[in-house]
Amino acid sequence: MTEPAARASGITKRFGATAALDDVSFDVMPGEIHALVGENGAGKSTLIRILGGVHGPDRGEIYVDGQACHFSSPREAIAAGIATIPQELRLVPALSIAENMALGDLPMRKRLGFAVGLDRARMRREARETLRVLDFAPDPDCPVRQLPFGERQLVAIGKALRRRCRVLILDEPTAALESHEIKRLFGVLGRMREQGVAIIYISHRLDEIVSLADRCTILRDGRVVAVSRRGEFDVAALVQAMTGRIGHDIHTETPSLGDTLLEETQSREDGMRLRAGEVVGLAGLLGSGKGRVLRRLFGVEAEPARVLIKGAPKRLSNPSHAVAAGIGMVPGERGLGLIMNQSVRDNILLASLDRFASRKGFDRSAADRTVTTLMELLDIRPRRAELKVSALSGGNQQKVILAKWLAREVDILLLDDPTQGVDVAAKAQIHALVRDFAKRGGGVLLGSSDLGELARLCGTVVALHRGRICARMERTDGLSEQKLLRAIGG
Amino acid sequence: MSWKQTAAQLHVRGLTPLLTLLVLCAFTALATDRFLSPLNLTNILVQSSIMAVIALGMTFVIIGGGFDLSVGSTVALSGCIAALVMVKAGLVLGIVAGIAAGVLVGLLNGVVIALLGVNPFITTLGTMVLVRGVVFLITAGAPVGDEGLPSSFVAFGSERFLGIHYLVWVPAVLLVLLSWVMHNTPHGRRIYAVGGGRDASYLSGIPVQRVIASTYVWCGTLAGIAGVMLAARLQSGQPTAGEFYELTAIAAVVLGGAALHGGEGTLYKSVIGVFIMVVLGNSLNLLNVDSYWQRVAVGAVIIAAAAADRLRWRR
Repeated sequence: MTEPAARASGITKRFGATAALDDVSFDVMPGEIHALVGENGAGKSTLIRILGGVHGPDRGEIYVDGQACHFSSPREAIAAGIATIPQELRLVPALSIAENMALGDLPMRKRLGFAVGLDRARMRREARETLRVLDFAPDPDCPVRQLPFGERQLVAIGKALRRRCRVLILDEPTAALESHEIKRLFGVLGRMREQGVAIIYISHRLDEIVSLADRCTILRDGRVVAVSRRGEFDVAALVQAMTGRIGHDIHTETPSLGDTLLEETQSREDGMRLRAGEVVGLAGLLGSGKGRVLRRLFGVEAEPARVLIKGAPKRLSNPSHAVAAGIGMVPGERGLGLIMNQSVRDNILLASLDRFASRKGFDRSAADRTVTTLMELLDIRPRRAELKVSALSGGNQQKVILAKWLAREVDILLLDDPTQGVDVAAKAQIHALVRDFAKRGGGVLLGSSDLGELARLCGTVVALHRGRICARMERTDGLSEQKLLRAIGG
Repeated sequence: MSWKQTAAQLHVRGLTPLLTLLVLCAFTALATDRFLSPLNLTNILVQSSIMAVIALGMTFVIIGGGFDLSVGSTVALSGCIAALVMVKAGLVLGIVAGIAAGVLVGLLNGVVIALLGVNPFITTLGTMVLVRGVVFLITAGAPVGDEGLPSSFVAFGSERFLGIHYLVWVPAVLLVLLSWVMHNTPHGRRIYAVGGGRDASYLSGIPVQRVIASTYVWCGTLAGIAGVMLAARLQSGQPTAGEFYELTAIAAVVLGGAALHGGEGTLYKSVIGVFIMVVLGNSLNLLNVDSYWQRVAVGAVIIAAAAADRLRWRR
């Protein structure tokens, strides 16, 4: 029996009054992909932060190759061979691939025993060799900023490999990837598994875990509720174990559509039209231009959108025009929708400050009533409006962004991957909210890389390819993930 | 409760600036016998009054995520223009012209920083030098209005109302008024929003550029008012007035707990920050500390305040 590559034993970690982890044990073998799943707040992040040396445990031990370790900084964990690839990659955009990979451990040229400068040739060679293992052959001098996200991620993995990491922790690696990039990443992970690297894999996409993981540990409220081997778990079982209830999809009746809310007046290859009560989906790969459509209609793109809003012509060259026209947007990056170190209350009121202005100044009590109602309606937890948004989980942060637009009482919502990196329960709540918004006569344009989400929520799905509408599918003709996948040409 | 927990509690409630001020006052009162004399306390109030008006404006800019180095030069410009116009066209026009000069400098800063997107440090460094140059041009480097300033203006700079100097009433009234603007108007809330997250504010439909520009206009206007006050106190427009005021004002705002990266800060705490700076100077004077060493001490306090700001946000 071989030793686990890394083992956490009886880990307890408290933050103030709440126990983030309560007597959690976890291990990963060399050559194993071990998935870690759980809702937001279940303790996954805390566990990988402890393994990665960011936090120390209050109780319990970490073992690497059977040796007890006490990390006091991420640096020590990396030196012990544990590397973490976070959702937001820690790469320097202006530096080259080779430089990024060598950062923190730059090779020097030596003359007579003295370091006389950077050994760039060696940096390039090492970068090329390491990335070849990942089946990735870029120009090592290319600045990282020029790479698409999927390739930056490979650079980050390559950097970990170059440091001879034996345990690789991936936190939501596929959240920002398109389907062909995901396929490539899985190929890379498979090859690393063959080479004996231990991989800890965190994802909200349960279907990925079912197809990829050798073993799966499920956390709920800071405790391990189940550990199962490949073949012993499926998506429904995972959902049930994570949430403690049986997973199910609510099926929608087709809503009755009202008048046209928004219509682009310029003739273009990706022009949009949206009616009251309608949820229109935007499907497409990276670079298909679905994000651009949403940004254009919110006035963020350089070229302003010319539209009819409820029949009145408008020119949207700025978000404040769009907001004034009754449009709200949930951007793809959560940080762009929120002011992280301000309160939930201030964030919810962000877009509607003038709505609560009266001659006597700002109507605080009316604003507070709105905030309380919305926090209740969207089930934003904890119910503390004065809490800083940064203290909330991802799902709750996303709900705050939606609450901001509900406070403004917009007619049209533009959503860019609204459930990316959000747990199952929050995702269901966000879906219910979108349906409810449409039912009350709102219009929703939903861009998503989750095809299942599009198939479930939308009455119409528009497939985009290189900035062009290449297919339009109706719910009445049947929508399925497979059909959508074929349409976007994945 | 341990000492550390108590300190943490006070910190959470945002009482650190007030506590610092009280400790400083208590120490000086014990170390010298002149600190608590009515004359000295009046002096501190009058000395703080002009800097407090500048710091109020600086707080707007810093909460909005910016920075203004040009306030010292603006103080001189406003004072000299007020004095020049007053001698020829009377009290009211003089005051209006002085404040208007401040508004214009603020507008220039605001347009260049918010609309053209130039870095605030460079922009206001530029206007700092430029405005000072203009002051020397219009005054030929000599004090203005030594004689011939209206007696009511001179009185404003030295006399009292209800036992308190007119000069002290100005920041007191402004503090109440501007705190209301900051907390009870959409405009005020927008300044906090833009300073806390520019992109998120933009994507929430807030006219970010206009809000940022407005903070510099506030700052210029208040520096203009401060310039007029200083001219009244000095009974003339001094072209060299206001040097280093920008640094004292920024230090005071940071001592008052505003975040240099924007989005956080409170007007009254910035005024407490001003008192800390003035009482520190007063204390060093009363303790007969060499004036060169005073500079070293004040510089160290500025760095310590900035370092405390960093430490606070690291957690």
